[in-house]
Amino acid sequence: MKHYKEWIAGYFFIAPAVAIVALFVIYPIFVSFYYSFTNYNALRQQEYKATFNLQDQLQEYLMVLNMKDLDAKDLLSQFDPVDFVQIQLGIHLKPNQVRSIRKNLNSKKLINDFIALKTNRKMSGAQFFAIYMTKDASMFSRYIPQWLGFENFTKMFKDPLFWKTLENSVIFSLFVTPIQTILALLLAVAANQKIRGVKFFKLSFYIPSITSSAAISMIFLLLYAKPGLINRVLGYIGIPAVDWLSNTSTALPAVMAMNIWTTAGYFMVVFLAGLQNIPKSLIEASELDGAQGWTRFWKVIVPLLKPQVAYVVTLGLIGTLQVFDQIYFLIKNQVNYTTSMYIYVNAFSYGHMGYASAIAVFFFAFIMILTLIQRRVVSEESYF
Amino acid sequence: MEKRWHTARIISYIVLMVYAIVSLSPFIWAFLVSVAPMIYHINGKPMGVNIMQWPPEINIFKFPPEVFGAPSTASNYAKVFEVTPFARWILNTVIYAGSVTLANLVLDAFAGFAFARLRFPGRNLIFTLLLGTLMVPFPVIIIPIYNMMVSFNLANTYGGLIFPKIASVTGLFLMRQFYMSIPLEMDEAAKIDGAGIFRRFWQIDSPMALPAFATLAIYTFMGTWNDFLWPLIITSSKNMFTLTMGLNFFRTSYYTFWQLMMAASILMTVPMIVIFLSLQKQFVETGATSALKG
Repeated sequence: MKHYKEWIAGYFFIAPAVAIVALFVIYPIFVSFYYSFTNYNALRQQEYKATFNLQDQLQEYLMVLNMKDLDAKDLLSQFDPVDFVQIQLGIHLKPNQVRSIRKNLNSKKLINDFIALKTNRKMSGAQFFAIYMTKDASMFSRYIPQWLGFENFTKMFKDPLFWKTLENSVIFSLFVTPIQTILALLLAVAANQKIRGVKFFKLSFYIPSITSSAAISMIFLLLYAKPGLINRVLGYIGIPAVDWLSNTSTALPAVMAMNIWTTAGYFMVVFLAGLQNIPKSLIEASELDGAQGWTRFWKVIVPLLKPQVAYVVTLGLIGTLQVFDQIYFLIKNQVNYTTSMYIYVNAFSYGHMGYASAIAVFFFAFIMILTLIQRRVVSEESYF
Repeated sequence: MEKRWHTARIISYIVLMVYAIVSLSPFIWAFLVSVAPMIYHINGKPMGVNIMQWPPEINIFKFPPEVFGAPSTASNYAKVFEVTPFARWILNTVIYAGSVTLANLVLDAFAGFAFARLRFPGRNLIFTLLLGTLMVPFPVIIIPIYNMMVSFNLANTYGGLIFPKIASVTGLFLMRQFYMSIPLEMDEAAKIDGAGIFRRFWQIDSPMALPAFATLAIYTFMGTWNDFLWPLIITSSKNMFTLTMGLNFFRTSYYTFWQLMMAASILMTVPMIVIFLSLQKQFVETGATSALKG
């Protein structure tokens, strides 16, 4: 009996969090998958919900200026229901819907209501169909995208811009992750040399990682300008000024450098915590065995930091593959977009949510595979 | 041997100093620009300020100190509030980050406690499933979430902004790990004394998990404060923007108001630095190591 109490309490305690994750992570995966096989269009999803005054719409469509002495027969001959719905109400119809309207829309009733001024009220598209369809009104209750099968995917495989964005995401990840890891490790080893002012260094390295990517992007927008600070400093070592962000060949590397700058400090703190946890006796023992300098670093210290390396590399890969904010703020040319940005643009600028979902689904699978490979590599390394 | 150590330490100092400069100079530069006037007057004649000027001609022996050869001013910080609804954006961001943090503290702790301390059928299966969702990148699921919010009529509202973020798997995982590290004996003793499950959660285990609560609060608050993608998707009117969204306001297609933009960037960063400085211990010790257990 007591067990049941614990069961109920358990479900009660986890219910809110599980519900949120189910609703906002798990369910959307399936919806994304469904969207990817349709032509889901953001601009059309409101079509059946948007309200209008039916009287005004009919008057406009039938070009009636004066509501007196109207002849139902005459109006009926001018009234094409499909035309009215598509052009006047602006609702896009699928072939089966067109057929249904031709068959089931009660034009007579509509025109009679119109003449009797009964249509003078606000209604949504869905309500309109509920009233005037003799059958099949449920086909018009909400926006249902058209099923396309694999059309989005074939389009995607032929889309050179998609491949370019995927390439950019991969390049971004493959450069940024190792560089930030090595840099962080280097800084941590330096900070671990019984150095004074470690607190100051930690703080100054950490600040970029607690600053929002929006603010950082704005600051670097200034620094990367052609007459900006970075070009001035590089000028001292003889590198000519470049308009970093406008030039398609330098824009992505510039954002990558900024990303490394943002995260290296945080990862350094992670490594430093790991280094400080290494027992002194281990280091001393290795010293007695004659391990010195670099040898000691590679053969003794790095293997001991394996959990931290795995953590940093995993976080780095996840973060860099999804990079969005900095791209949104700093990248001007489409050919430098990453896949996340391309998904965003397709879904929210062009409204092509079906196509964007196909890219998202593919990208998800791609990231899963990469993560599995990375896990295998890291676990294999631990045999050495 | 002594000498070797000596050189190693000198090299370390150089490396650290150089990187400290690299790390801080963008902020210092942003600060210099933020206190530079847009125009200033010499003998009644208006002068423009070139913020791209090199070197930045700083003179701290004058009053007010000079930057870019012009007298520095704090007026850009006030102007940020005049030309944009900046106060409103701060409020929105506080509401967003504050509510999300509070909700996470409650819901993640509930779930974390249950997964650590209570036995019920399906516990491990559900937990594994939840952990699996950590692999799902946000850009992949954002379209359905947005459409869901639209159909709930929550687009461009606080509800829409906050609701999808009120619980997180990372958070409940952190809480679970912490509850698991609390010795079971305390629980058992309380059980023998007749304490119910809720009392054990509230009076025995949670007070001991305070460091975990603090860590969760800091990370959630910072993550939400700095969040950009979700506000970008869900907010559409100026008075619903968060600070990260607002920054774009100082950049038009014709002209960028650098001084104001830098002032705004610094304004939104300062609270994070204050939090970091006052809670540094939580960050460096609990933060890094407990994340590591993940």
